[in-house]
Amino acid sequence: MVRIRFRYVAPAIALLLAAIGGACSSEIAVNGSCAIDSDPALACGLAADGTFDASLGLVGYSCTGKARPDEQAMYNEGVPSGIMCADRGPVGSDGKQGYCCTTAATQCAYDPVSDCEQPTYGYQCYGANRPESVNTAIFCGQGVKEGDYINYCCSGKQQPDGCLQSDSVRCSPRLSGWSCTGQNHPRAEQLGANKSRADTYHLLCPVPVPAANPAYNNYCCYPAALVPIGGSCVEHRGVPGCASGRFGFACYGPDKPQENYLPMRCTEPGFPGRSAEGYPATLYCCDFT
Amino acid sequence: MSPLERLLRVARDFWVATFFLLFVPACGGPAIAEWTYVCGTAPLSAKAAQAPGVCGAGDPNLPPEPTFPTDICQELTSNKSFPDENNLDSARIQAALTGCKGRTVKLVSNGHNNAFIAGHLNIDSVILWVDAGTTLFASLNAELYQKTGSCGVPGINDSGACNDFITMSGTRPGIVGDGIIDGQAGEPLVGHDYSWWQLSGALREINGSIGNPTLINTASNTTGVLLYRITLHDPPKFHVKLTSVPPNGICERKGDGYIVWGITILTPRRYINSQGLFMTPHFARNTDGVDPGTTDIATCGVIACNTISTSDDQIAIKGGHWVSDLIIAHNHFGTGHGMSIGSETYGTYISPDGKQHRGVEDVLVYDLTIDGDSRAVGHDSSSADSNGIRVKSDPSRGGLVTNITFRDVCMRDQANAILVSTAYNPLFPGNLIPEFGTLNFENVRHVTCMELKQPVVTLEGYSARSRAGPIKLDNVVIDNMGPQAVAAEFADIRLGPGRTNFVPSGTGVVVTNEMTGNGPAKECVFPKLPAPELPPDWLR
Repeated sequence: MVRIRFRYVAPAIALLLAAIGGACSSEIAVNGSCAIDSDPALACGLAADGTFDASLGLVGYSCTGKARPDEQAMYNEGVPSGIMCADRGPVGSDGKQGYCCTTAATQCAYDPVSDCEQPTYGYQCYGANRPESVNTAIFCGQGVKEGDYINYCCSGKQQPDGCLQSDSVRCSPRLSGWSCTGQNHPRAEQLGANKSRADTYHLLCPVPVPAANPAYNNYCCYPAALVPIGGSCVEHRGVPGCASGRFGFACYGPDKPQENYLPMRCTEPGFPGRSAEGYPATLYCCDFT
Repeated sequence: MSPLERLLRVARDFWVATFFLLFVPACGGPAIAEWTYVCGTAPLSAKAAQAPGVCGAGDPNLPPEPTFPTDICQELTSNKSFPDENNLDSARIQAALTGCKGRTVKLVSNGHNNAFIAGHLNIDSVILWVDAGTTLFASLNAELYQKTGSCGVPGINDSGACNDFITMSGTRPGIVGDGIIDGQAGEPLVGHDYSWWQLSGALREINGSIGNPTLINTASNTTGVLLYRITLHDPPKFHVKLTSVPPNGICERKGDGYIVWGITILTPRRYINSQGLFMTPHFARNTDGVDPGTTDIATCGVIACNTISTSDDQIAIKGGHWVSDLIIAHNHFGTGHGMSIGSETYGTYISPDGKQHRGVEDVLVYDLTIDGDSRAVGHDSSSADSNGIRVKSDPSRGGLVTNITFRDVCMRDQANAILVSTAYNPLFPGNLIPEFGTLNFENVRHVTCMELKQPVVTLEGYSARSRAGPIKLDNVVIDNMGPQAVAAEFADIRLGPGRTNFVPSGTGVVVTNEMTGNGPAKECVFPKLPAPELPPDWLR
């Protein structure tokens, strides 16, 4: 049995309607098309010594418009199936986009509606393989479980972490120091190789402290405690008046941050405001004790 | 066979038969001609097999069995019959240990008074001897181990929160004797209604790391550690973390770096705690048995003639610094997560001669039984908790694992008989691709008694660019397994010369078949392992 998920059916219906409508219009929205391309600039299937290695199972594509080679993914009895592609940027002078794709179907499906931030794009995968295992040209971030699937945000170029765990950032012994560029925030997946690997481990970080180098911000983050079921306080680094190094929270319910995160001490009363996501909440500014 | 065993066997046969009659033919499942059973235990118990002068005698790979020390510096006599938190022995034990460097402190019983209780202890260049019939209890007062303020506090993901119960350091420290060291981790902490294990269990959902005390840890730069014949129970977190090298830095004979010989680990030691809570192995989270290389490098070691039944890995070789030249011989495992290497494999170490060393190298494991049937593990455990041999890492850690041999290994009723995985958790990203080199499996057999599911074999490199192997399978026989229970990819696998009863296949798998014979699979017998005494009103 082949089951096609609604999110793939919807664009197909839209495309059909557009095609019908196009019969009455001169402007037809066309996604474009893809073709196999052996352009060496795609650097697809190259071994470490620069020679082509067929055993890597990769082939180059170039695409016009917004087409991608991996758009035809399917779900067979709930298991995603499709080729997986690493984007290679523009190829040649005619505006085509290059891709380096697997020759065989993988247990991953390109996800056209993922939440991945540009320039990354999403795959939904099933099974124990990370995307890099089946397409050695791709780079993906931390997998996020969604039921039986794992969602990844990937790119043909390795994305800079933006943050680095750093012992040179002076923190109390129970906090971990981080140095980040620009607006990047520490994430547990960026922990060093010697640190715990936890599936859903997340960090609670304060309002950043500007580093001596203005390109960087420093953080002393708390490897967060369990939040009790029903706890409603979430991290909010934009609480008005909350100074650098203090922990801001937005609480949607009547609970207070110190009830959710035991080491927090919140001596100042909360005040009405909005969470980082823009919802009404009571805002607190607290200290780690 | 007892009536209970007979009943369980009848029930098992019924369900197995029903399963195969009803489901397997219909869904085209694995074709297993016949389900075979190897049940029962050997006449000789594991404890008897450990008797002095019996286990390891004549084994040319091993050093002579250690002996008890003769140079007793101080003998301390127990003054209590139970672990009295209001009458701690910390000060007098520590004073004796500090004043007896290079010699031995012996804890002995006096009639019914057979207990000592203490908080954090340092064993620096001295041997602690716990005499037969005597128990050294770890205090349940978390404040005695306080390090960061989070020790004993619920819900805190702070793995460095507590000091160890015992920290070994210096030159040739040791813990010996036929007595017991009991961490009491299933019992409620002083002033609280929760135990160390409940603190750890509360973080299970987020895979968090509680900062409970390690029962026995070793500091960096320790040399010549000895653990001999001691029995260990119920650690708050990990039984033994080993960091030790030869005193002169040269591995002239295995064991110069450290010896763990004839110890018994049984955790949990009871089925029911004082609050009436059912304490299964699953309840005792993060209680690895013996972990070489956790804190720093560990080289030139021998782990021999031990019996380990716990909740987490019975032995986990941690390559976060460097582990090499290790022999693991004549051991019997009960419950636990496996004879494991990793997931820390990323270590690098430059020795004084300027040579760089990495990860885990040159390990020989032989004459090992792993028996999943020695006791119930808990209804909420999963198949991931039941492993025979596993070698694991992931691309966020990387590192080298090579020249590892598993020889003469018998396993029973493990969900994962053999697991080799360079990406054991696909969630973790990174470009530090683990390098798994030569892994030899020789005369390995997995059998079934109580288990209803097929055991699984996993042999996985990372990608077409980062392959595992050579993985050599020589007379590896996994009973009751069909082809669907073998997962392999990106690996160079060599079969033979002895018969292996499965042929791995998969993406990027290259199999070199050099099997020449059809000889018998390894005969397996499993000794009776120490297990908690059943409560008086339970079926037996």
